[in-house]
Order: sequence, then C-alpha cells, then structure tokens
Amino acid sequence: MSLPHDSAHTHVTGESEFIDDRPAMKNELFADIFYSTRAHATIKKIDLTKVFENPKVIAVYTGKDFHDNYWGTIFRDQPILATDKVQYAGEPILLIVAESVEEAQYAKQRVIIDYEDLPCILSIDEAKKHKSFINDSRKIERGDVPIAMPQAPHKIEGKIIIQGHDHFYLESQASIAYPLEDGQIEIHSSSQHPTETQHVVAHALGVPNSHVVCQVKRMGGGFGGKESQAAPFAAMAALAAQQLKRPVRICLTKDDDMIMTGKRNPFENTYKVGFDDQGHILAFDVELFSDAGAYADLSTSIMERAMLHSDNSYYIPHMKVVGQVCKTNHHSHTAFRGFGGPKGVATIEKVIEEIAHYLKKDAVDVRKINLYQDDGEKNLTPYGQIVENNCLNRLVTGLEKKCDYKKRRSEIDVFNKNNNNFVRGLSLTTVKFGISFTTRFLNQANALVIVHTDGSLQVATGATEMGQGVNARISAMVALELGLQRSDVRMMPTRTDKNANTSPTAASAGTDLNGAAALLAARKIKKRLSELALKLFDIPKEKWASKTAGLGTQSEILLDSPNLDVNDPNEGSDWKTGIATYFDIVFKDAYVYHPSHLDKKIEFKYLVHEAYLNRISLSDYAYYKIPGIEFNKITGQGNAFLYFTQGAACSEVSLNRDTGEVKVLRTDILMDLGRSVNEDLDIGQVSGAFIQGLGWVTTENLFYNDQGLLLSHAPSTYKIPNIQDTPRTFNVDLLSNDENYANVRGTKAVGEPPLLLAISAWTAVNNALTYLPSYHNKYPEIRIPATSENVLRAMMPTHFSKWELP
Amino acid sequence: MRKKILFYLNGKRHEVGADKSSMMLAEYLRYDQSLTGTKIVCAEGDCGACSVLRYFPHGIKGSDSDQYLPVNSCITLVAQLDGSSLVTVDVLKNSDNLHEAQKALVNCHGSQCGFCTPGFVMALTGLTEKKLSKGELLITPQEAKNCMTGNLCRCTGYQPIINAAVSMDLSNCESIKTRFFTQEQAKDLNLHFQESVRVESEDFLFFAPKTMEEALLFLKEKPDAKIMGSATDLGVLHNKRKLKITQVLSLHLIQDLYRSEVINDEIHIGARVTLSEFRSFIKDKVPEFAHYLDVFASPQIKNIGTVIGNVANASPIGDTPPALLALNATIKVATMQGEKEISMSEFYLAYRKTSLRPGEIITGLKFPLPLPTSQIRFFKSANRKDLDISSVNFAIKIDWKVDESRKIEDIKIAAGGVGATPLRFKNVEHFLINNAYSQATIENAVVELHKEFKPLSDLRASSAYRHVLIENYFRRFFSEIGGLS
Repeated sequence: MSLPHDSAHTHVTGESEFIDDRPAMKNELFADIFYSTRAHATIKKIDLTKVFENPKVIAVYTGKDFHDNYWGTIFRDQPILATDKVQYAGEPILLIVAESVEEAQYAKQRVIIDYEDLPCILSIDEAKKHKSFINDSRKIERGDVPIAMPQAPHKIEGKIIIQGHDHFYLESQASIAYPLEDGQIEIHSSSQHPTETQHVVAHALGVPNSHVVCQVKRMGGGFGGKESQAAPFAAMAALAAQQLKRPVRICLTKDDDMIMTGKRNPFENTYKVGFDDQGHILAFDVELFSDAGAYADLSTSIMERAMLHSDNSYYIPHMKVVGQVCKTNHHSHTAFRGFGGPKGVATIEKVIEEIAHYLKKDAVDVRKINLYQDDGEKNLTPYGQIVENNCLNRLVTGLEKKCDYKKRRSEIDVFNKNNNNFVRGLSLTTVKFGISFTTRFLNQANALVIVHTDGSLQVATGATEMGQGVNARISAMVALELGLQRSDVRMMPTRTDKNANTSPTAASAGTDLNGAAALLAARKIKKRLSELALKLFDIPKEKWASKTAGLGTQSEILLDSPNLDVNDPNEGSDWKTGIATYFDIVFKDAYVYHPSHLDKKIEFKYLVHEAYLNRISLSDYAYYKIPGIEFNKITGQGNAFLYFTQGAACSEVSLNRDTGEVKVLRTDILMDLGRSVNEDLDIGQVSGAFIQGLGWVTTENLFYNDQGLLLSHAPSTYKIPNIQDTPRTFNVDLLSNDENYANVRGTKAVGEPPLLLAISAWTAVNNALTYLPSYHNKYPEIRIPATSENVLRAMMPTHFSKWELP
Repeated sequence: MRKKILFYLNGKRHEVGADKSSMMLAEYLRYDQSLTGTKIVCAEGDCGACSVLRYFPHGIKGSDSDQYLPVNSCITLVAQLDGSSLVTVDVLKNSDNLHEAQKALVNCHGSQCGFCTPGFVMALTGLTEKKLSKGELLITPQEAKNCMTGNLCRCTGYQPIINAAVSMDLSNCESIKTRFFTQEQAKDLNLHFQESVRVESEDFLFFAPKTMEEALLFLKEKPDAKIMGSATDLGVLHNKRKLKITQVLSLHLIQDLYRSEVINDEIHIGARVTLSEFRSFIKDKVPEFAHYLDVFASPQIKNIGTVIGNVANASPIGDTPPALLALNATIKVATMQGEKEISMSEFYLAYRKTSLRPGEIITGLKFPLPLPTSQIRFFKSANRKDLDISSVNFAIKIDWKVDESRKIEDIKIAAGGVGATPLRFKNVEHFLINNAYSQATIENAVVELHKEFKPLSDLRASSAYRHVLIENYFRRFFSEIGGLS
C-alpha cells in the first residue's frame, strides 16, 4: 500500500487548517460583496443610506478606491469592482465591510441601485451574430482539407453543444488580509496561484510586489477555479485591510461563489468529417467556439488547448481546426481541470461514434484503426509534435480485453431487444493529454530545501496543495533521494517570500515542475554532504568536527562545495532507482556510507551536524524549467508538450425509458501514468477526476435566467455526483510503463487527463439511444450534459413537442 | 421554567442563553467554541460537511434512533439541541488513537483536499454506532453508500471512501455512546427535560412547553412565532438571509408527539416523529413508502427532519405529501377549542398555504393501513437520483372490488411538482372508477390526466418534461400491474 496523503491524518481529525478556520483576530472585520443582477447595464445610481444605518457596517468600497481597478491574467481587462457599467449578472460592484459576517450579508440587501439595461449577449450564437469576439480566431492545420474532404467516400456534418461546469470546490473562495507595518500586507488565500494573487494585490493597491506576501497553506479543492479567480477577492480583502488597518476576511458563501465566479467554458463546435468504408478518418474540419463570458480571463489559452486536443488519440492526415473565443455577458469563465482538452476530445470522440454508427460498425474498431501508430508518419500530430512513448494501442486493446468488451456488447444487444424499461449503451473512449503549459514561460518552478541540524527537513515550493497530493509526492521524492522517511520531510505552506515568480499549480504539472525543482535542490545538498562524507570517511572519527569544533585542538576540514547546476532532474541519477549518487556515497535508511568504508556508516542526522560544524550550507534553492517547449502560437506548429499522459475508459450505462435517468453500471479504466511515485494517490486522482467529469457529462446543469443570472447556485439545485452515482462496478488500473524518459523519475502527470475519460459515459448514452428505432439511421443530438430531461427528450421527442410551450 | 438551553457537547455540559441559542450549531461550534473541524459549505443541508453526531436520549428506547446519529449542524439552531448530547469530529481521536472510521479513511486514501472529510468521518462513525448497537462487525458497500448519501465529495470520486468503509473491522471499535454518554449526563438531561424552557432576549425568543395547552396559549400570545420541527427548511432560509428566525415554538418536550403506532387499522404518526423513525416504523407495513424514503433527502436530514414538518411546509415539491394523499391521510390538529382533523386532500389551498388557521398546531397524522391487496407505487424523479429535490413525484394506490370483476373499488392518484400545491387527480380517479378496466380506459385517462395539471418550467424541469414524466409513471404503473383487457 502506498503512503497516505501527507495531510490525511489531520484531515480526518479536523485539525487541517483552511482559511476560515483561522481564529479571527480581535479587531478583524468581515466583508461581503454586492453584485449585479443585470447582464449588461450602466449603473445610474447607488444609494447606501440604508446600509450605513447599521453602525456595525464599517465601510463600503467601490472600484474607484483601488489604485488600479483592473486585473487579468492574459489581458488586463476585468475590473475588480465594476464602476460605471456591469457586464454580467454576478459581477462584483461593492465591497461591504462590517463587524460580522451576518451584518455584512444583511447590509448587502439594503443597497439600492439603479441600472439602465443595455443589449446583452447570452449565447454563443448571439455572439457569433454580433461578432462579439475576444482576440482573433486561431488555426492549426495540416494537409489539405479542401482537397481531401470532397474525395472522401463518406462525409458527415454535425455539431456538439457543451455546457459549462461549476468547479464546486467545497471551500469557496476565501482570503484574509492582514495589514503589517509600513504598508505591507500579508494575504492568506485559497489560491492555486499565490504569485498572481500577490501581484494582483500589489498592483491594485499601488504598492511594490515586495510589500505583499501571499501564503497558501492548502485549498479545500481548486480544480482550476482558483487559478486566476482567487486573486480579485484577495485584492478586495487587501484594499479594506489597507484602508482600515484591520485584518479583513472574505469567505464567500457557496451561492455567491457560484453566481460570481466563472466556470468551465461552454463550447459549441461544428464539424465536417470525411472517411472511407473502413472508417479511416481522411479529413476533419472543425470549428470551435467558446463562451468566455464577459472578460478574457484564461479563455484564449483554454481555446488553444481545446484546439491542440481536437485530434485526441487519432491520426488525421488532413485536419483543420479553427478556434474562436466569444465574448458574452456571462460570468467570466476560467480554467477547469482539463482546460480546453475535454471540449476538443468530446468532439472527436463523438465524431468517431457517429462514423461507426453510419458504417454500422462497432465504434471501438473504428477507434483502433485511427489510433496514432508507434512510428512513421502516423505518429505525428497536426501541430508537428511526435507522440513519443505512445501507449495508445496497448491501452485500447488491453482495456477491450480486460473489460470483456465484445461479450458485453452482444449481451447488451440482447438486453435491449427484450427490455422496455431500460436501454443500455457501451462505449470505449481514449485520452491523449499533453503535459506542459502551452504558455511557455509558465513551465518553470523553484524550490527551497532546508535541512535542519537534527536531520529533519522543510521543503517549500511554488506548488499549492488542493488535495491532489502534490506535497505528498514531492516530500516522497526528496525523502527517497536522501534515504529518509517521508515523515522526516515537512512540506511548508507556499509563500511568495520563499518561492517567488512561481506558476499556478495547474496543467497537471504541479509535481513535474516543483518536484523536479525540489529534487534538484535536495541533490545540491546531497552532493555537498557526499563530499563531506567522503572526506570524513578518510579521516579518523576522532578528528570529525563534532568531536573537535570550537575546541581549537584540530584544524578544521575545508571543503569545496561547487553548486550543482543542472536542469535535468534525471541527470546523474540511476534510471531504475531514480536516485543520484555522488562520490559513491550512499544515502539509505537514514544512514550515509561509502561501500568501501562500511565501518564508518554515519546516521544522516549526524552527518548533517558535521556539515553544519564544517560550515557547509544545509539549505538550497533550485530552479527548474521544462526543456524543449517550442510551440509557435502563430503558426500553430511545434512541440507544445513535454510528453503525453494517455488512457482509455469503457463505460456501460443504462437509461430509464420513463424518466431518462442515466445510471453508469460499470466503468473500466486503464491509464498510463509512467512510473508512479504513489500509486494509490494516482488511482485516487483517476477515480476522482472521472467522477467529476461524469458530473459534467450527466447531471451538472447550469441554469440561468434571462439576465444570465445563475439560478442553480447551490448543491440543492446544482447536482454534482453523489456517492450513489459512482459506477456500480468501477475498476481502475495502471499500465506498466517504465519508459517516460522526459519527466522527473519517469512519472507522468495525472491531475487532468482522467477527467476526459468520463466522455465514455456520454458516448455510451448516445450509444444506448442508437438502439432505439428512431436512431437506427441517424445519430442522436444530445448536448453535454445528458441530464435526465435531455435524455428523455431525445427518446420521446414527439411527446415533448406536444407539451412544449409555444 | 428553565431559562437556558441545556445540551452536552463532546462530554461537556453547555447551558446557553438567547445569544448563543439563536446561532446555528455549526457557527456556535466554529466561531464560539473554536471547534473548526466541522465545516460549512452549502449552509443548506445538502453537502454534509457540517455533520456532527447527535444523541437525543428521550425518544423510543431500543429503536434505530436510540443512539448517536449524524445530523447537519449548519441548519440546526443551538436551541433545537436542548436535551441532546453532541459529538464533533474534533474529539473523535482518543488520545493518540484514531477512530476506526478515521483510520480507514487514512489508509484507503479517502481524503484528498480534506474539506468534506470531517463530514464523511461523522457519517461513517454514525453507521459504526448503528452497527455496534446491533452487534454487527462488517459494512457492506451498499450500507456504506447509504450512510454517506448526505455527503458530497468533489475530489475522490467516492470509491476510496467506499473502500474505506468496507475495510473497517469493528471488533476493536469503542462506541461513541460508551465513551461520551455517561450516566450522570443521562440523568442531568432527563431531569431538565421534565421542565418547560423559555429562552428570551430582545431579538430572540424560543419556547418549548411540556404540554399542548401551554403551546396553544403561547401561540395566542405570539401569533408570529414559527412552529419549528427541525428547521431543515427554515434554517436554510435563515442562512440565506431570506428570513430571520426570531420567535420559535418548539414541541420537543411534549413526549406524546414522539409516538408512531397502529390503532384500529390506522397508522398514527406524531408530530415529532423523524423521517428515519417513520421509515423504520413503516417498512413492513407499507414497504413501498420505505423504498420511496430511501431516495428522499439525506440521512442527516432524515435523522432530525419530521414527517409533519415535510407535510406542514406545504412545498409543492415535498416528497411525502403525494404519498400521504394517495394513502388518504388525515392531519390531526390541536386548537383552543379542542382537537380536530383535516383531510390531506383539503389541506393544501395554494402555494405554501394550508387550511391551518392561526393558533392551530398539527399534532400528527393518521392514515388507514393499506389492505394486503392494495397496489401502491410511489415514484420520484429528480436530476440526480439521490438527495435531490423532485422534478415531479407521483403516488398511486389502487384497491380492487372484492368480487372477481377486476373493477376498481378505490383509487387515489397524487403528484408533486405539477402545480402550486401537492395535487390529487380527482377527475382521473373518478374516470377510472367509473369505467371498465381496459387499455382504452387508460388511454382516455391519460387525456384526463394532462388536463388536470399545468406545471411550471423551472430550473428543475421544463413543463413538458413534467407532463411526459407524469404520463410515463401513470402508464408504467398500469403496465406493471397488468391485467388490462
């Protein structure tokens, strides 16, 4: 069994500290946010008379109170607090600071505001009509679609509508700002990106970055929702703290969090595909449109990833993908596990199912003949990157066999002929997820490793812990390197005064980047300790510093300690063990020794003490950047990723023919995660991501009113999967793969890719529908999510139209 | 008359006045007692992160409720916990030893971000208590799922949590009851339970009398006071700042109201009977009702929420009203003029409006025991099968004439989510009783069915979906019972 999560013990006892668990300081204040209920309007007047009737309301701030009211990760286009105009329902307008949470919440109800509505855009269709776009459209192209498409024996055109998806992290956005001396601010935030939070706060307040420290101990879930969008709330708390010189806490209610913050971008993709009699895809022409909401946030990057995943695991000789981000009057959508990936992959997976249905073939056979091959031209993506360490064939054939696909297919064929209560479907989909930030400069990290003189360690990196276990993995890597137990290595909160200029913990790359940096830092110390050990083992123990230092009876040992300056975390290490060795000195089981001086085996902690006495540095800092990322955003060509994490899933669903209710009967997953650092944590990421994705494709339905105000803003109305929604049979297995030479210790990132495997449940719903007579000759048109209502509507369209309101 | 609310928290005696007893328990724990292990996420009883264990030692001895049960602390007023013994996650670890539930969650990786974890720990500990009380030592996957239906996790995908529950061996597990519920505590709580309690300040009043007479008098004096069963709905409105709970009448000290019994072939349910207790009571009498309750609310809600609360709340999408309408239930009411009864089918007048007059108090309900030959089906449809508010619910009960003519003697059809109130389909019932039982009659009845309701479109379902669902349930019922000519 693998080691538990490093916080598992304090999680189950309730001792783990989250933002709102911090004891309130005596003079602390609490803030709440008044937000717009209109999609697009000018603010004519705000009347606060009634708000200030309550003496417990201390202050109300507007956007004008900021030194600079604008923020944005890519484009600085979004006001922290809207001033003259609101651009979405849920947009923050006022910050209300009171002596208690309750007083602030009631004060918010006493704001009187006059709006003058402006025309609003609430759908991708309307945005397209009005050419309401963010940035120009982008393109990735290979071959010649205009020539290849007409020559293809068969062609299908279609569209897929993909709704948004709320992160539903359990801990809503939360920040506390503590004013310090001399205008400094310390922010404790539930943020995936402490550096950006620090920068946004400093910029908004008009102070140098050096005046602001952002600390992230942990998050109660992030999933991308706290990558960019934690920052404005921190800035609000900081503003009030700066102005009032008192600590200020903002912890959003779940309702307000869901109404104000952005979601996974909705997409509407149209496609045309040409293929031959066997189902080989010859040409694929796809246009992706995403709904960014009112501001750019990360939507252009998300679109880029959607485009880069429109091929998924399939070699397509002639392919053109165009992506356009639309500006609407919705909350500003943002990163969510998978980034754009799921939207590109859902499209091509639907296309494959549709081809199979058209040709009356089993979709798994169509997938197999289109998979990227191990070599030759069929191993090259449309953007010109070779699919190295390609495991796709092994995954698909392995899973097909493991889950008894063919046998179950024939059982389902029989079941569906004889049952009028339920109809079943089966589908196997794949994922090939590119690992690295597509934005090159984000692929860097730094880490600080401190060895204390008792042999215990503290490690600080830019990685933030949101449950994924990044800290457990990093501490395990460092401990292994130094021959220690994980319990000897304590992971410290991420703080911008220790690790600056960090990247968000995102893109599944938290461990890859920060783990590599921590390992490099640990090795610098290890090399120095090895040099010392070598020296020590050559001299009698009586001469060691611990016996002589400060006594003036022996001359001190002098050592050179050149810094290790490499950028490859695998350099110098043994591939099999992943451990680097210097001067043949071995670090193992808390001891350090030289194979030829076993008599002088020394405990790690004593060696450390010797090092201190010899004035050898026991702390080090290292920097790591991912090599070889050179994707050209303009031409759409280049190595966008360091490597690919791959996987396959097969889901069987049952649809209730009275209600449309979807039940996942069984899911089998086979993932390639390279060489796992912690197999149980990895499997936990796979099952967690899959179920989260399952919610996206089935029950999670964002419902807005005609002003784009979210009405399903709490778990009573927004239904994430429940424990009863897990597949009745759920098998997760990892492929054995020792050959990912690209990444630290041969691991592969796991955070996002398995979410995309939930698409198998959605294609299985479609597959079930194709058993109904009305779909024998056409493919169902059902959106993501396949809610009960959407499914029943697809099953009984004429019944619905009878009762449809005119 | 007591002036303070009394309860035990983690073995310690707490006596609190109006300022503290008007807080929600979760807030009291976190911000007054610094017990921050208990988390608040939704503040509406839908996620379980705030779960604590509550033992209410004044109910029926030896029943399923005679032990520590998980409840949602976020929508429970401290005042409501008068007479209870509470245990929170913060003290579950006994010196250095984790509780078996905690150990299992650690070993099976049942915790990732950790925010939902305390709630899961408490739900699982609740199941452990139940198991220990029955002398059972192993947990099945289905039991694990059922006990944690009221808890949401966004990280793990639940599988590791299910694995944890199933991995538990309870043979070395000390019960919470043994550890925290001492004889002195029992005596103390019981002693105070014999006396009415009135907690009052400028902006909060909580009164719990020992008798119905006192209750009626109080309501006369304070007509705006809310009669609160468990606040699983009022508490939500309070937390969402849509209503401030200021005056409360609680019936929790009136012992008679905890009774469920069968008298003269009628089932009687007291106003304080929780949904969990009702489920245990009804499961061999009307099994269909027990199945239906399984997909209704969370264990945490059912452990504190009452049947009468669900009825009196008068929500058009409440889950018990259609079932009770089909069972021809009658509501029992106490008034200053004495007891009276209201038929369920005359109870709901308009949206959230009932025929209860000011000053009247529901004491319970009754319905005739179905015959062994009665055919009963309750359906519920929601966006998520478990722990979701219904899009529609539908209840049907049919009794045949005793001769062999296959003629309907009596039929009751009711639904929720189809209008402003829970609805009886009286025209359809009438039509079916007066026509031969045949496929043609069913077809015509379907036409009648649609005429009898005009559902709204809202975030749960479109009007069209509701129409199609009701028709499908109606048809499903008759195709299942068969015998159509």
